[in-house]
Amino acid sequence: MDLLSILSVLLTPSVFLVVFAGVLIGIVVGAIPGLNGAIGISLLLPLTFTMEPQIGLLLLGGIYMGGMYGGSITAILINVPGDVVAAPVAMEGYPLTQQGRSKEALYYSIFSSMFGGFIGVLILILFTPPLARLALQFGPAEMFFVSLSGLVIVGALSGSFLKAAFAVLFGLFISTIGIDMITGSERFTFGSADLRSGISVVPVVLGLFCFAEMFLNIGKKPGEQVKYRDQSIKRMTVVMSILRKRLLVWKSGIIGTVVGLLPGVGTTLAVFMSYGEAKRVSKQPELFEKGNPEGIIAAESANNATVGSSMVPLLALGVPGSPTSAIIAGALVIHGIILGPSLFVNRPDVAFTFLYGMLLTVVAMTIIGAVGIKYFSYILKIRMEYIVPTVLVFALFGAYSLRNSLFDVFIAIVLGIAGAIFKKIEVPLAPIIIGVVLGPLIETNLARAMRIAGARDIPLIQYMLSSPLAIGLLVMVVALMVVVIQMRRKTG
Amino acid sequence: MKMKLAVLFSAPFLMAASGTALAQDYPTKNIQIIVPYSAGGGGDTVARIIADRLSDELGRQINVVNREGAGGEIGIAEIARSQADGYTLGVFGYPDNFVLENTRDTSFDSNSFEYLAAFDDMPMGIFSSPGSDLDTLDAVRSYGEENPGAIVIGESGALGLLNILAFSEELGIDTTPIRYSGGGELMNALLGNHIDLASTSSMSHDPITDAGGTPIGFAAAERMEMFPDVPTFKEQGVDLEMGVSRVMVAPAGLPDDVRDILTAALDEISTNEAMIENFHSASIPYRYLNADEASDMVERSNSVLSPVIEENLEQFNGD
Repeated sequence: MDLLSILSVLLTPSVFLVVFAGVLIGIVVGAIPGLNGAIGISLLLPLTFTMEPQIGLLLLGGIYMGGMYGGSITAILINVPGDVVAAPVAMEGYPLTQQGRSKEALYYSIFSSMFGGFIGVLILILFTPPLARLALQFGPAEMFFVSLSGLVIVGALSGSFLKAAFAVLFGLFISTIGIDMITGSERFTFGSADLRSGISVVPVVLGLFCFAEMFLNIGKKPGEQVKYRDQSIKRMTVVMSILRKRLLVWKSGIIGTVVGLLPGVGTTLAVFMSYGEAKRVSKQPELFEKGNPEGIIAAESANNATVGSSMVPLLALGVPGSPTSAIIAGALVIHGIILGPSLFVNRPDVAFTFLYGMLLTVVAMTIIGAVGIKYFSYILKIRMEYIVPTVLVFALFGAYSLRNSLFDVFIAIVLGIAGAIFKKIEVPLAPIIIGVVLGPLIETNLARAMRIAGARDIPLIQYMLSSPLAIGLLVMVVALMVVVIQMRRKTG
Repeated sequence: MKMKLAVLFSAPFLMAASGTALAQDYPTKNIQIIVPYSAGGGGDTVARIIADRLSDELGRQINVVNREGAGGEIGIAEIARSQADGYTLGVFGYPDNFVLENTRDTSFDSNSFEYLAAFDDMPMGIFSSPGSDLDTLDAVRSYGEENPGAIVIGESGALGLLNILAFSEELGIDTTPIRYSGGGELMNALLGNHIDLASTSSMSHDPITDAGGTPIGFAAAERMEMFPDVPTFKEQGVDLEMGVSRVMVAPAGLPDDVRDILTAALDEISTNEAMIENFHSASIPYRYLNADEASDMVERSNSVLSPVIEENLEQFNGD
């Protein structure tokens, strides 16, 4: 399958239409709080059964790519990240909006997403086999250390150390609710089947970021709302400014790519790691969480880079790296396409068209995003009394639709109230999410390591440090800790 | 706006009222199929293929609703407590419900459902990691006898665990089972040599062998058409048959005429060439059982699984 014949398949009106439709759907579901790419994909999955496999895949790939970006629009404009991956963007983007620089923030977001998306897909095209082998190296020990490094990042966020520690512990606590993965014992379930299945990340994110923000808005006087300001900012100015920070873009893209490879951890960890890293190396760390475009660049390049890399283990090994790619895997199976190394031999038409087609999804995302920004900003013209109920309805719907569960709605509302209180007393919310996401990974991987070490009859420490990769990761965790402690000393 | 809201709020009541419509008109409205797993998995795939065909046959839209959580418990419980009017059906992998009801305090039991049909027969298997020495049954047995507990076997669900327990017992060896949260994670662990063996269904055969892993055997009655080279455990002298069969159920108490309409429609589509082709292309071994045959299969299988679960109850309930 040569490049020319791939291009002849890709550069047809129907493919363009499908890709643009996918990306647009992705951006919309991504922007709506509680909905995300994964939900959009599972809704449209049946539609792809009747399509050519590569076309159907590109539709889903487009939703995935667009969904990764869409969440940042509402994050920047109304401080409600559409999805957990947009949480850091809200931390930088909303302060910019408050300063009347919403368009600038949106441009930073879309163009960083573009660079990140390209980095991820290019790496997918060029390095799939070696990266797939790298992903396999991550066993219980390696996963444990990577997840631990994510917790350390919390220390790099600003604010009171004690409050951040409380937040991350609160998140870890939420993650313990349910049936313990390894032993099967129940924790904090009180005999309820809903609690047995644990509390998933989506209602927590909705509660803390969306409900809490809307609850606080209800109490605001009309004059306190952020006003729409028609600022003139040239797209190229922003692109040039991002290009001046190309080191940051590359680094964030690569963090997104590598961490995005890991099954289960993926996107959330990648986004927070690259955000924390951007703050660590920044010349103006004091501007973070007050509207520093560097934070947007880091978070957005990282999350769109994970789109490509989470497909690496999927295409090369048949191992889905994220919930979204798991659904895409399901779609492939229905088309009778066997994933794994043989894919590139047996169905090169599907594999290569999809790979190069993913570049097209980045292009479509950039065009829709860059053109749409003018209209997105009009959200700020809408009065809060209309925004609040609309967002709440969508958020309720989003919380319900994840598992069609009223229980999740209840969790979102309870955490919304908790989140509003936390915001008032300045407990940071992002560490709670980090705790909820990483808690199970840290715990189950440590438990697995203990069981395997026990079976092999070697001490746990010896098992944990039996691979060079694990040792390297441990060194990284320690180094991060030292850096974070020094940062804290400096900023006080 | 007010008008619209009024319609919106009264919709559930209207729906409830129409549920009492005469059964011989069934179906007069859309049907939903609850799948207790996330979208994209094997159970979900089966449900969507069937929903597609059944919808053509019955002339009504059929919506597949994913209601995952707690290893299928949440969704299965919801099917059980739905109204038995034929408008809520369920598709799940038997014996997930049986394992759940015997290992947890569930709100459903074997009398909560009527089996309408079974669609496939997917045996469990044991696979070894790429390059492993434990690539035959004899190698596993002799290593396991010399090193009790040393063989680490991964699984990603109750049936996978059950398969490990029965396998180890039949071989007379001690092994260490390790739980993974999904098929993807399990595959990663096996292919990365972090575990010795994996207990998973025949659906994983191709990705595992492609990456250099070896199937040790399938827990099937006879060799599978799809994989004629993989021996069964039976022919290797190990009496172990275990598999998952995707069944369609209705909550118990379905009116007779509704059941007849449904089972007739299912029997009708069961020979549809295009549908069977869908199963094949998804690597799902198609095997249709009608309502009576499905109930018999479930009854027989329950009596085989019961003792295994009973003896190993502590493995399921934690330490």
